[in-house]
Amino acid sequence: MKLFRIVATLVLVWSASPNLRAQDDLLGLLGDEKVKEPVVASFKGTRLINFHTLEVPGRRTLDFRISHRFGAFNSGWYDFFGLDGGASIRLGLEYSYDGRLEVGIGRTSYEKMLDGFLKYRLLRQMSGGGSPVSVTLFSSMFYTMQKDPDKAVNGFDKYAQATNRMSFAHQVIIGRKFSDRFSLQIAPVYIHYNLVDRISDKNDAVVVAAATRFKVTKRSAITLEYGWRATQYSREKYYDSLGVGWDIETGGHVFQLFVTNSFGLLENQYFTHTTNQWSNMGIRLGFNISRVFTL
Amino acid sequence: MSVLRKSASLLLLAVIALAPAVLSAQQRYYTRDAKVYFDATNKNSPERVDATSKSGTLVIDAASGRVESAVLVKGFLFEKALMQEHFNENYMESSKFPKATFKGQITDASKVSFNKDGVYKTEIAGDLSIHGVSKPVKTTATITVKGGKISASTNFNVGLADYGIDIPSLVADKLAKEARLTIDANLEPMK
Repeated sequence: MKLFRIVATLVLVWSASPNLRAQDDLLGLLGDEKVKEPVVASFKGTRLINFHTLEVPGRRTLDFRISHRFGAFNSGWYDFFGLDGGASIRLGLEYSYDGRLEVGIGRTSYEKMLDGFLKYRLLRQMSGGGSPVSVTLFSSMFYTMQKDPDKAVNGFDKYAQATNRMSFAHQVIIGRKFSDRFSLQIAPVYIHYNLVDRISDKNDAVVVAAATRFKVTKRSAITLEYGWRATQYSREKYYDSLGVGWDIETGGHVFQLFVTNSFGLLENQYFTHTTNQWSNMGIRLGFNISRVFTL
Repeated sequence: MSVLRKSASLLLLAVIALAPAVLSAQQRYYTRDAKVYFDATNKNSPERVDATSKSGTLVIDAASGRVESAVLVKGFLFEKALMQEHFNENYMESSKFPKATFKGQITDASKVSFNKDGVYKTEIAGDLSIHGVSKPVKTTATITVKGGKISASTNFNVGLADYGIDIPSLVADKLAKEARLTIDANLEPMK
């Protein structure tokens, strides 16, 4: 009995001694560290082609963006397949202080559109446990600075009230980086126009947007985006927006080159008012350049 | 009498059994918040390429002189968020290789007495593992003992190409071929 007690004491004391455990692994003595980290760089930038990605610029980052769309390929030789003119351009300044909330403003030549948006990274995909997806909220407001082209004909100015110039887009972007190379996101989008063109048009539209990228090398990727218009909002002939592109990253720049059937650059333009189609080569070349500054 | 003798022998056994536990508590020193800094700025570049992690782990076994250290690659904070992203995504590939580790030996450990104040210049040799590549390295370290507090610091140069980290020609004028790594740690005795 006493012997048992002695042995028990010995075993107890020895097992409590760190000397016996993990003799070969000093770091192991510090205990298991469960590494839970946010997944970074699901996409190269805050835009894929036209669509917003789930990404928000890093903390204290100012993103200066130039987006350019040429004319359609099917304009033929005379317009040199769209390169001659009729381009649409957006210049944007977008900033994030904390790497989660982004504020942006921009001006688009097509429809003389002024835009301002808020984007918030609600949830980050984590490796080693935690959220399997990233969720980003996006809300944007558009204000056209066009004059009413039909004012003389109709005898009234449809933009007499400033609110008639406004439209809005909201989306919840849900995405996942499946591997170092492959990322995919889906976003339900809600678009509202204060004023629509025709009496039969609806003020609201719902679109489901999907976007994906596949990295070819460390610094370049193939991208694809598609916006499916889920509701009937107009009797006019519009088409789903579809774009295929190539991302190239060069230090502080991201250069994106692509073809898309959308001429507009903003959510209220490309999601719902794309008038060209791929089947008759109504597609155009476009590029985005992003230059970031740390402020 | 026999009761006394028995309890005495029990006490003796307990002391013998406890001894390694007590000794080893004195023998090892560790930290979880070592400062790890690296600078890979090219000489003439106006843009600094440097970052700090304040959560490096370091364990020193005083008796054997063994040293082990680890740092999470994602724990390095850069001034520029985009540079940090590129560091993780393109250079260190931190999702594949989340940790950089060092396992080695203070080759002249006998010089250091951890319970006597002093500044000890020592030599360290071991394997540095970064980006999935392990290479032997050798450097000097300073161990300072002052009023029971132990701190250690060291630095060495890491050739990026040695660890399979490609430098694209585009950034060759910004990024040095070697990064200077500096580690500063304040250690506590391990209980």
